[in-house]
Amino acid sequence: MSAVTIREPQVLDALRSVMDPDLHRDIVSLGFIRNLVIEGDVVSFDVNLTTPACPVKDRLREQSRQAVLQGVPGVRDVRVTMTAEVRRPQAPDTSALKTVRNIVAVGSGKGGVGKSTVAANIAVGLARTGARVGLLDADIYGPSIPILMRAGRPAEPREHGIEPGEAYGVKLMSMGYLTPGDQPLIWRGPMAHKALQQSLLGVNWGELDYLIVDLPPGTGDVHLTLVQTVPVTGAVIVSTPQDVGLQISMKTLRMFQQTKVPVLGIVENMSTYVCPHCGGRDDLFGHGGARDAATSLGVPFLGEIPLDAAIRRYSDDGRPVILAEPESPSGAAFGAITGRLAQQVSIQAFKHIALTIVEE
Amino acid sequence: MTVLSPDATTPVEIRKKGGERLTIRWADGHESVYLARALRGRCPCAQCVSETTGARLVAEGHVRPDVAIAAARPIGNYALHFDWSDGHTTGIYGFDYLRRICPCAACAGADA
Ligand SMILES: Nc1ncnc2c1ncn2[C@@H]1O[C@H](COP(=O)(O)OP(=O)(O)OP(=O)(O)O)[C@@H](O)[C@H]1O
Ligand SMILES: [Mg+2]
Ligand SMILES: [Zn+2]
Ligand SMILES: [Zn+2]
Repeated sequence: MSAVTIREPQVLDALRSVMDPDLHRDIVSLGFIRNLVIEGDVVSFDVNLTTPACPVKDRLREQSRQAVLQGVPGVRDVRVTMTAEVRRPQAPDTSALKTVRNIVAVGSGKGGVGKSTVAANIAVGLARTGARVGLLDADIYGPSIPILMRAGRPAEPREHGIEPGEAYGVKLMSMGYLTPGDQPLIWRGPMAHKALQQSLLGVNWGELDYLIVDLPPGTGDVHLTLVQTVPVTGAVIVSTPQDVGLQISMKTLRMFQQTKVPVLGIVENMSTYVCPHCGGRDDLFGHGGARDAATSLGVPFLGEIPLDAAIRRYSDDGRPVILAEPESPSGAAFGAITGRLAQQVSIQAFKHIALTIVEE
Repeated sequence: MTVLSPDATTPVEIRKKGGERLTIRWADGHESVYLARALRGRCPCAQCVSETTGARLVAEGHVRPDVAIAAARPIGNYALHFDWSDGHTTGIYGFDYLRRICPCAACAGADA
């Protein structure tokens, strides 16, 4: 009989020296230690691994044993049981989106090129043709859809999911709604990941022909979460005539291609300057760059939108120009782009073999 | 590593025979047939391939001979996810990867 009393924290501290070689963390903070029992000078516990196929199982068993034997005074024997419980990867239930026919992502290389403006006008444009449309603001860094569409917060989440808001016949959801209050929140990867999944799968979208997703600029976690969570029909890339913008757009293009998201087309925004007085056009930055790039990349060119103060004015007012002034040059430009986009989506839907695994 | 054409990595048909076999027909006409155990042994996840060294930790020889595909589902347009009968569920197999590990005689060795 030993005179010393062995305490649980001592054992756990000793076990903290044992690292999982793949997860690069100690087995205590990983929560692997279960059923720790101290009976006199005998310590027993389970090491619960993430896979029964763990190739370093025996090594971990021996390391855990030695760590306690040598690290805790008074221990005579250590009994280690190796167990395993496979932690599920995020395998989201996508059944909620079965009623959504096409998911179209709107992306850009850099910020401020008019991505949200294009997304909102396309959504309203599609709705005006009689389609059932949803618009998801996935830009957690600067949600703007609620302003562009003058939409209030949707109802609080209910038992059966979040009811989307609605404006101009478009169902709306913003990841911004999932931000608590007005406190500035630093969205880290995992949080953004969860918020996007919730916005896609936890919202009662109902039957939709198109769900337009306004992505944050650049390439990153949100894009990856999107393509991993739902089957994306295709992507629209917005760029400006300046070369730099185009260069960056190429990165976005490659990212979509790498994740097998067809690029439905490129939109050139702030293309020409329309004089508010005479309606005359002026190439401020020399337009056509996006069209050339699209041609050389074999990607459809969806059209160009002039640099037009009215676009901004109507946006600030919460009424997309395609609705406020459909016959104006800008309204008509958005109308044409909407038509070409719908056409590209149809082509994809036709080409796209619904990925199902058939039992033979 | 050779660059694969989009057609070579776009599946047009995916068939599964129980838990034992998966067949993918690609847009370029090629067909790949994967047997469960070999496929389990090429799982690309971080538990099966060391993230630091890239060395394979769980290979075909480490998994039970009777391992079966418990469930398979597509991830977006670009990958397949499997639940294996041995409880392993963390692997996501991109179509690029699946084409690269096609076990047929013509492909084997071309990109190991
Ligand atoms: N064609 C245009 N003519 C004039 N102003 C425009 C045009 N397109 C967009 N704008 C204005 O430019 C600003 C940025 O547009 P928007 O918010 O749509 O860009 P974004 O790419 O979504 O930006 P962010 O990266 O911040 O999300 C807005 O004030 C918008 O009203
Ligand atoms: Mg925006
Ligand atoms: Zn694995
Ligand atoms: Zn082959």
